[in-house]
Amino acid sequence: MMTSILKASMAGMALAALATAASAGGTLRLDEVAVGGPDPAKAADYSDSSLIFNVYDTLILPRQGGPGHVPHLAESWEGEGTSFTFNLRPDVSFHSGNPLTADDVVFSFERTVGLGQGLSYLFGLVDSVEAIDADTVRFNLAQPNAPFVASLVRLPIVDKKLVMENLGDGEGDMKDWGQAFLSANGAGTGAYIVKSHNPQEETVMLRNDNYFLGVPEKAPDTVRLRYGLEAATVRTLIAQGEHDISSQWLPPEVKKALADDGMQLLTESGTGAFYFKMNTTRAPLDDVHCRMALSNVFDYGSVLKLIAITDTVSGGSPSTGAIPVGMFGANPADEVLVRDIEAAKAHLAACRYDPAEFTVEISWIAEVPLEERLALLMQANLAEIGVNSTIQKVPWALFTEMVSKPENTPNLSQIFVTAVTGDPDTLLYGMYHSTSAGTWQSPEYLNDAEVDSLLDAGRTGASESDRQEAYAALNARLMDLTASIYGFDRQSVFAASPRVSVPALSDPAMAFGLDGMGFAFRLMEIE
Amino acid sequence: MRSVCKLLAGRVAISLLVLAGVSVLVFAIARIIPGDPARIALGPNATAEQVRKLREQLHLDEPVWIQYGFFVRDLAKGDLGVSLYTNRPVTTDIAQFLPATLELILVAGIFMIGIGLPLGILSARYRGRAVDHVIRIASLLGVSAPSFVWAVILMLLFAFFLPLFPIAGRISTDYEIARATGFLLVDSLLAANFAAFGNALWHIVLPAFALALSGIGQAARLTRANMIETYEKPFIEMARSYGFPEKRIARRYAFRPSLIPSLTILGLDFAAMLGNAFLVEAIFAWPGLSRYGVTVILRKDLNAIVGTVLIISAAFLIANLVVDLLIAFLNPRIRYGQESK
Amino acid sequence: MRRSLAIISANPMSLTGVILIALVVVSAALADFIAPFPAHRGAVVDFANFNQPPKWPNIMGTDLVGRDLFSRILYAYRISLILGVVVLALAVPVGIVAGLAAGYIGGRTQFVLMRTTDVFLSIPPLVLAMSIMGVLEPTLANGMMAVTAMWWPWYSRLVFNITLAEKEEGYVLAAELIGASRLHIMFREILPNCLPAIITKMTLDLGFVILIASSLSFLGLGVQPPTPDLGSMVAQGASYLPDSWWLTVFPGLAILVAVFGFNLLGDALRDILGADR
Repeated sequence: MMTSILKASMAGMALAALATAASAGGTLRLDEVAVGGPDPAKAADYSDSSLIFNVYDTLILPRQGGPGHVPHLAESWEGEGTSFTFNLRPDVSFHSGNPLTADDVVFSFERTVGLGQGLSYLFGLVDSVEAIDADTVRFNLAQPNAPFVASLVRLPIVDKKLVMENLGDGEGDMKDWGQAFLSANGAGTGAYIVKSHNPQEETVMLRNDNYFLGVPEKAPDTVRLRYGLEAATVRTLIAQGEHDISSQWLPPEVKKALADDGMQLLTESGTGAFYFKMNTTRAPLDDVHCRMALSNVFDYGSVLKLIAITDTVSGGSPSTGAIPVGMFGANPADEVLVRDIEAAKAHLAACRYDPAEFTVEISWIAEVPLEERLALLMQANLAEIGVNSTIQKVPWALFTEMVSKPENTPNLSQIFVTAVTGDPDTLLYGMYHSTSAGTWQSPEYLNDAEVDSLLDAGRTGASESDRQEAYAALNARLMDLTASIYGFDRQSVFAASPRVSVPALSDPAMAFGLDGMGFAFRLMEIE
Repeated sequence: MRSVCKLLAGRVAISLLVLAGVSVLVFAIARIIPGDPARIALGPNATAEQVRKLREQLHLDEPVWIQYGFFVRDLAKGDLGVSLYTNRPVTTDIAQFLPATLELILVAGIFMIGIGLPLGILSARYRGRAVDHVIRIASLLGVSAPSFVWAVILMLLFAFFLPLFPIAGRISTDYEIARATGFLLVDSLLAANFAAFGNALWHIVLPAFALALSGIGQAARLTRANMIETYEKPFIEMARSYGFPEKRIARRYAFRPSLIPSLTILGLDFAAMLGNAFLVEAIFAWPGLSRYGVTVILRKDLNAIVGTVLIISAAFLIANLVVDLLIAFLNPRIRYGQESK
Repeated sequence: MRRSLAIISANPMSLTGVILIALVVVSAALADFIAPFPAHRGAVVDFANFNQPPKWPNIMGTDLVGRDLFSRILYAYRISLILGVVVLALAVPVGIVAGLAAGYIGGRTQFVLMRTTDVFLSIPPLVLAMSIMGVLEPTLANGMMAVTAMWWPWYSRLVFNITLAEKEEGYVLAAELIGASRLHIMFREILPNCLPAIITKMTLDLGFVILIASSLSFLGLGVQPPTPDLGSMVAQGASYLPDSWWLTVFPGLAILVAVFGFNLLGDALRDILGADR
């Protein structure tokens, strides 16, 4: 008995080795550091987004290769000022088979705002959403809001009927708004259907053959989004042909090693930046001269060396100011920020605090190892002008809690921020408007009337040139205030096996200009 | 038989008492967390009103002892609350992840006994000779590095440089095994899928061995020490003078009495493995309860921390209970712990 | 004493242990003189020279910000040894007092103390330390506290078992007869008889404390950068396997060498002091 099991298992081992060598055709395997949450009302980070963009659809999509938006679930839309009307496509149905109607759009909006999590703050200016008829839906705004249309790429449409059939325990009419159900199931119209979701392993998705736009033949049949793999594991699995696309959080050296092994590097660029955010409410950084000393002493050049992957691909490009290159109000790409130790010393001398008497706390997010090195760089830079510092590692969940009070917020917080809809409003308003202080994006606690009015002007600007003007003025004002150190304009880089082709992440003419959208699996091709 | 039942009842009672103590301890630790768990749970963009509501729901505004009361009441109903990390009931998470950890530890335990004991016996029999020295040094080396160092070294040698074993996961994605027990090795056999069984076995070898190494060293050292002690007892001399073959002396007269003290320590080693699994699972991306434990501790996910630690402690107590009973069966003279001797 | 030294130096294994420990202790104590780049213990960055394999003058390579790994390992030894000594200096007295009191006084004292000990021993050690570190700020002092909290019960159980046996011995009964105080009997009569076992265990434990502390920092719950720490070096380097193997292999071996040394010596002491309980 024992020997026969042993024999069988030996045979099994040999078979297993064969099976993995043959590898699954049409299966796309990728990974993310954080667990993706499939609930569309809670989605906020990159892994959530890459799930949501595939399982759900939105009324509109960003235009590939340029600014603006194109129809998607909505055939067309019209409106300006405070009222926008969308005409839905008649031929769309959910994974459950239920047809898409205007009621679903209203429900999706109400659910997002009702739960108040994720990116629901984008819709704060929307007063109400009403279904005019089965295929027409109208959004009523409290005041004119230029980035409103762009924000709709963050309103995934949920299957109302299915969710209402699966409400869990909770108070009120809507009970739990279907949170329990949607934390493990999909209820969308998207090109992929959630098959299983294990928060410690992976989410498995299957191609939706009834997708209203159709899914091309060469797109993957099955997608396995794996969670929390070690960098060394990803590196080896890709090299062995058992993994296809890495997360952007893989350290630059590892991406380089993979590129040297013949893997391709995919990029998704720049609607965001890397910042050292300075807490302007606490000594010593409540003095603008101390802040300017720090921003001048920081070694911008070394950072670029650190994030470079190959001669042509890098995790970012030089920063030119408070607004990333390519957005409204950005400075020209060649006016890069540089280190100036003499200026730093002069500002430090002008600062009302004595460097011998304070210590600067530098925090870094535990999930992003690169930030530890940047913290060490900052610490070494500060030491050159006689400023002492301590380094503090903070897990993400705890960081968002710490910054909710100015007295708990570190002097320097390292943060990557991206414009969640691609519009500069969603990058800057949440960081610098006095009413948004105290979130993970705004540990500066900036409170400046001029900044506030320029942000409002950018938000309500009637024409593109008005907005351009407002944001250019804002950029200059922010540089004067120096509430943040602008480390670099970020670019996400992914290492990928040559068996996948991802035009949205390799061809600028096909890029979406929206973080995570490049992972629309239906637009990928796999051998 | 009756006395064994009595022993069992007494042991279970003490274990339950200890478990209650553990729950108080863990609960106390989890409640002194700096920061507001409700705000952490709701994420970056929650409003003050939402935080207040959730605090109410979690009874965070009540005094700590009342919170503990709620906790015990829910625990009695089999409810450990919802994990803020996975957004699911903690009991669901534990049910999903515990089998993977137990499977890893059991296989490591088999390695520990299957390799450690024979090495110890060999070492004792050839005491003072080259074999003995090699085994002693090797087993001492085994206990001298944390299991994460062994995991990294084994991975480097046998997954990277000599790619003999897979570097992560429990099974290749090509296999789909219906979940019956959660133990892949068992489930694949139940499904009569021998290829999947082999694949799961192939995945578990490296992490289990990394986990077992210090246990193997420990088991070898103990067995050797105990057997040497027994070898010095008069009845061995007697057996020798009767001209019994060495092999038989080793097996029958020296090994059996040495087994009992070894078993006690093996119980403790099981505990060490429950702890070390935290390190090994992280390296091998093993989707078990320990990896979950590390994540929830780093995220200060209260319910999940309390649940995980409670379950792991309970597993530990049960293992020790089993060891105690085994010893009672092996040696009827051992009745009631050392405390009342 | 001289006899012990003779025994230690006669046995090649214990001699090796002594040599290894001497190496570790000396390199930790004299790190300022031995380390080729003493400044690299702290926040120094050299991005022109980062992540380099072993070559002169960086005989163990450089880390991810360009610091000399060999220098950092020497300083990490210093931290580990200090941590080990402090933890034992805190845990052993607590364990001794609890064990003596429980064993000698007995009754309700014994029940409460030994059940508390059981509770602490029922949580796998690493899990207990992790839970404590999880809620505290990850600093060196808190790390020591967390490891201490998991360590004292082992000594209270050890001392308790010896005390139980010793309190029936003639010399204790004699002391009781002449009216010696409980404190006198516990600390002046019984304690000296526990010392050989305690000393042996402490030698072995110094290695294990280093091991556990490195495990904690491997999980990100130990001392914070730029302080060099063996466990966190392994943890950080693990992401860069197999290409940058030196980042993990050297700190890992450093842990192995130190703990191996203490284990060898502890084994030898056990034989010499006959403290095999």
